[in-house]
Amino acid sequence: MLEVKQVSKTYDGGRGVRQIDFSMQRGEIVGFLGPNGAGKTTTMRMITGYLYPTEGIITVDGLSVHDEARKARSKIGYLPETPPLYPDLTVDSYLKFVAKLRGVPAREQKLRVAEMVSRLGLNGRERQSVRHLSKGYKQRLGLAQAIIHKPDLLVLDEPTSGLDPNQIIEIRSLIRELGENHTVLLSTHILQEVGALCDRVLIINRGELVMDGAPDEIGARMENRFAVTLEVSGERERVETVLGRWAEARGITAEIRMETLEADGNPALSPAVDGSDTDSSAASTEAPEHDRVSEKGESKASSDDPEIPTLEQTGLESTESLALSDTRMSGTVRALLTASDQQDFRVELFRLLADTDLPILELHKENLTLEDVFLKLTSEPTAAAEDSILADKPASLDRSDDAAASETADSSGAEIGGERK
Amino acid sequence: MNRILAISGKELRLYFLAPTSYFAFAIYILMSSFMFYVDFVTYQPSIIDYRLILGDMLFMLLIVIPVLTMRLVSEEFRQGTDELLLTSPASVTEVVLGKYLASLGVLMMLLVCNLAYPAVMSLFGNLNMTTLWLSVLGVFLMGASMMAIGLFASSLSQHQMVSAVAGFVLLLLFWLAGSMTSQNETLSAWIEPFSLPDRISNLTKGVINGPDVIFYVSLAVLFVVLSIQVIERKRWR
Repeated sequence: MLEVKQVSKTYDGGRGVRQIDFSMQRGEIVGFLGPNGAGKTTTMRMITGYLYPTEGIITVDGLSVHDEARKARSKIGYLPETPPLYPDLTVDSYLKFVAKLRGVPAREQKLRVAEMVSRLGLNGRERQSVRHLSKGYKQRLGLAQAIIHKPDLLVLDEPTSGLDPNQIIEIRSLIRELGENHTVLLSTHILQEVGALCDRVLIINRGELVMDGAPDEIGARMENRFAVTLEVSGERERVETVLGRWAEARGITAEIRMETLEADGNPALSPAVDGSDTDSSAASTEAPEHDRVSEKGESKASSDDPEIPTLEQTGLESTESLALSDTRMSGTVRALLTASDQQDFRVELFRLLADTDLPILELHKENLTLEDVFLKLTSEPTAAAEDSILADKPASLDRSDDAAASETADSSGAEIGGERK
Repeated sequence: MNRILAISGKELRLYFLAPTSYFAFAIYILMSSFMFYVDFVTYQPSIIDYRLILGDMLFMLLIVIPVLTMRLVSEEFRQGTDELLLTSPASVTEVVLGKYLASLGVLMMLLVCNLAYPAVMSLFGNLNMTTLWLSVLGVFLMGASMMAIGLFASSLSQHQMVSAVAGFVLLLLFWLAGSMTSQNETLSAWIEPFSLPDRISNLTKGVINGPDVIFYVSLAVLFVVLSIQVIERKRWR
């Protein structure tokens, strides 16, 4: 359907994309992820023929976007980051114009415009001028513009940016619907969107493609551990002893981190500690930092790796010392339990805590989320990311370095956390 | 062809949805009727000749045309709608031709407005119809080449004001090409043929001179092609 072969684009400033190479099958919904300025828009603009690549070839259905531009472009629907609307036109006249421009046969135009209006919920606004539409409606009109000629390939650049949650849900369900008949490439920097919509993810960073795979697969590929966050009501020392003993007694090596919260709940602290299921990219808070680093160490390590206990020991000690340092906090205890094999210990944990009369307030399975993968891929130097993930080299030297790095980062992360408290 | 018509239809529609063109038309009509009043009514005895007010009309075009063409391409870049046009099956040539066609439509409207004055004149005496229609043809040809220059200026920037000023300066250069070099004879022999208003004098005398017509047409073609190139080049940035 779409083939992007070794495509590069160089701008004057030296930015741009390098050697992008991927292809898409008919009917796929592919998410294109990357931080701002990574080259998502550039790549999409090249696919749609708005920009020509400096090097490489892009074909749609075997037609080169450059050499057979007219034919290739009529197969593509494109929604740029800002919907390309004429504020002075009415919804109706705008859609009619686009239909003509995109070569919809004259006798079908009216029908197609009406179809788009009803499909995208623009009824009753046909006579309204585009200027007076709300942002959500503008986005819908932008989508209508992109699909009015029934393209084979739909390219959407951040289709949900700047919309309120309701509108995001609507647009997403629309895209899902469209994905049934069209091949969709959509860029976003909202990670949930990819999980919610896409069959496949491409992650681009600094102009290079660093990851290509299904959303769940990507998480699994980088994860070989089982982790839960736990919030328990009870005195900290007791929880600590119970959990500590249990973790030690358990055949698996488990990493325990404890953080306490004041009973009245310091609002400033809770989001920082809670970095587990929020989708805020709180890279600066200590919890995700810890996660990421330890994952990095473990991603290539097997469960019986001799280096893992040392790492965990450090983590355990530092966090415990942190916990012990402030005794006035009591009430609830938060812990992150990590087993380095993928065994599910939640039932066991529940029984243990129930037996010791420590009510579980919250128990949450930690997945290596797309967010973690994304952060990992896009915050490291690209070369390292490529080595460790794409090539998947058995680099034993690298690994010990990683482990050492994560040790230091681990303890320093905890210390920073301690100071903050 | 359908796409060219679609684009020029859209442009014409936008012309009459935006206040700028009304403003330009208003200024044009106001100023030219003022000049008509001065030339025809207060200057006695009245001369029944369209050419009397032709010079004023041409001068007004110099001011009005950059205002009318400034948004043609600039606005697309500013609004991001160039992404729609350039990713559509329409080629840049079709896009530019569509826009140019729309600007010619507007020019026609300006001319029709201006025909009010000879109509008034004809009430007071006999008007030479040959010179009238050939003058109108001359103004159209000249206006067409000016519109092309304005279109080109508009494709240079995404800021309408920059486009308008650039268009005005370009037009002024062509306008003054004759008089600027009048001191130096060898230089003026080279430059004068490019003067916009000088070329119209034959037509207003009732003579269709081939080189004059070809000059205006080729000037229009040149600047339309330049606009196409400027826009096409953006794909390679």
